Amino acid sequence: MTKKLIHKTSRAYLLFSVIVVLIIAPVFYFVTEQLYIEDADEALTLRKKEFLHYNRPHFKSSDINVWNKFNRDIKIIANTGTSRDSFFYNHYYDTLDAEEETYRELNTPVVIEGKKYTFLARTNLVETEDLIVSIAVLFIALLIVLLLGLFFISKILSLKLWKPFYKTLAQIEAFEIDKNNSFDFSDSKIEEFNRLNQSIKKLITKNISIYRSQREFIENAAHELQTPLAVFQAKIDLLYQHTELNKEQLEIINALNDSVRRIKRLNKNLLLLSKIDNKVFASKQKVSIQKQFEKLLDFYSEQAQSMHIGIEINLQEDILVDTNSDLLDILLNNLFQNAIRHNREGGKINIQLADNSLSFSNTGEPIALDVDKLFRRFSKSSSSSRGNGLGLAIIQKIAESNNWKIAYTYEHNYHCFKLTF
Amino acid sequence: MNLYIWQMKLLLVEDEKELAVSIQDYLANNDFICEWVMDIHQATDKITSHDYDCILLDLSLPDGNGFEILRELKSQNKTDGVIIISAKENLETRIEGLQLGADDYLTKPFHLSELLVRIQALIRRKNFNGNNLVRYHEIEIDVLSKVVKVNGKIVDLTKKEIILLLYLIGNENRVLSKAAIAEHLSGDMADMLINHDFVYAHIKNLKHKLKLAGSNNYIKTIYGTGYKWHND
Repeated sequence: MTKKLIHKTSRAYLLFSVIVVLIIAPVFYFVTEQLYIEDADEALTLRKKEFLHYNRPHFKSSDINVWNKFNRDIKIIANTGTSRDSFFYNHYYDTLDAEEETYRELNTPVVIEGKKYTFLARTNLVETEDLIVSIAVLFIALLIVLLLGLFFISKILSLKLWKPFYKTLAQIEAFEIDKNNSFDFSDSKIEEFNRLNQSIKKLITKNISIYRSQREFIENAAHELQTPLAVFQAKIDLLYQHTELNKEQLEIINALNDSVRRIKRLNKNLLLLSKIDNKVFASKQKVSIQKQFEKLLDFYSEQAQSMHIGIEINLQEDILVDTNSDLLDILLNNLFQNAIRHNREGGKINIQLADNSLSFSNTGEPIALDVDKLFRRFSKSSSSSRGNGLGLAIIQKIAESNNWKIAYTYEHNYHCFKLTF
Repeated sequence: MNLYIWQMKLLLVEDEKELAVSIQDYLANNDFICEWVMDIHQATDKITSHDYDCILLDLSLPDGNGFEILRELKSQNKTDGVIIISAKENLETRIEGLQLGADDYLTKPFHLSELLVRIQALIRRKNFNGNNLVRYHEIEIDVLSKVVKVNGKIVDLTKKEIILLLYLIGNENRVLSKAAIAEHLSGDMADMLINHDFVYAHIKNLKHKLKLAGSNNYIKTIYGTGYKWHND
């Protein structure tokens, strides 16, 4: 499944942000806690120093009770056996708030009037739980703000920055080599897009010119062939007039005659294709499919008859189309030809005009044709030399130039070509 | 058999030598004198000094467009019939040619038999105004009213059979391939032909009807190839 570029980048941003936050949040927690404890320890040390410096020199053992009575966080207690500064955590029950409080505590030995005591300084710590919650809330808030920001920035950027890109894209999508599209690859302020536009412009110009020269070549080649073909045909016609031809010689001339006929037809079809390409059949008028169809019926009935092919016609409604009547004529001719040419002796043709579509179904080789190759020039799906491989290409070309749809299906032993107007 | 009272004079303007020779060859044993020139310059000289019953005119000539000859004919107030024979196959050229005074337009490549009947039809139209008859021994065809008589008695022929009969008589003594006949009978649809078997049916019917009416059998079958109108 493909997604828009912005989704890809947004997802990458999101993933990255989440990972960063997940890694940074605990690190941040530990670092903060560390700093906080260090700070607390420093404060406790300062109090100890202050006590030692200001209070101890004239401190008496009788003062201890009074001191302890008025100081909750700095006390002189009985010697606990500490020989040097020791920092640790301790829990006290706070009767006012009715909860356990965590304290950082410093115990250090102190001598008052020759007797050993322990100096106690403590400070209330923020609870770990509170700290974690605060940090988490902070980081989640940060994450949300960050992501929202990234999302909107990339959205606005993609709208603004990618605008020339989407314009180019739309033009390429609308491009058809056989139509005279005009292009506006105006310079944008972004180098990459300019390069892209320049390259596409070059590519398109080159392709169009190759396409044109190829089209001209086909037209000229087909045209130039007409005169030698005329000589070929004339000589065969003359050859037939020799009176002492034997059977073998006649057969050779017949084969030549058949070949020249096929080349003539091929050449006419090539000329026809280039005429369609060159928009010779541009004028349009309202044409009745039924009327156009009926004009051809006699001719093809006769053609079908000699192969004992039955034609079944079901024209439910007439369709009026806005098109070139010559082109429609060629199209119908080719559909008819196709249905007869690739049929079998004693086969059937079913023609339906209904629901804004015309379909020709015919019996034939009992195998579905390769749809991918079907409409390509000179692609013959069967080994028979019955067609010249241009009929369907012409049908498609005409359908295309009128924005009609031609579809092939193979059902119940019938090859069906359906033209939707 | 001579279809005309006097010999017809034709001028062929064609720069492709082999084609010109073939046309001359095919027309030679008929009732035509066919002169051949290769360019506009020679053609202009010819039409200035002679009157032709029919001019066969190629359009792309070494010294210009064949249309110039049509303009020259017009400026000299000549009424020579003109059939354009051209490799150009587009409506504009065809219309322009006919507007400039050409009587017919035949696209290359064509069958010589087709060219011959077109020439005959053109000459008939020009010379036998109002009484457009083709006679062959006991057979008489009124081309305009589409009536065919054998020994003065009307034979009921279809439109296609009359076209076929005219084509066969016009190409008397010439072998006509089934393809050529089929293309002639199909007219505009000639390019769309898938098979030529229907020719057999038309020939059979025509033969049968003519025989019933008491005509000789002039239609000979050339096995595997086609037919020939021949009086032995």
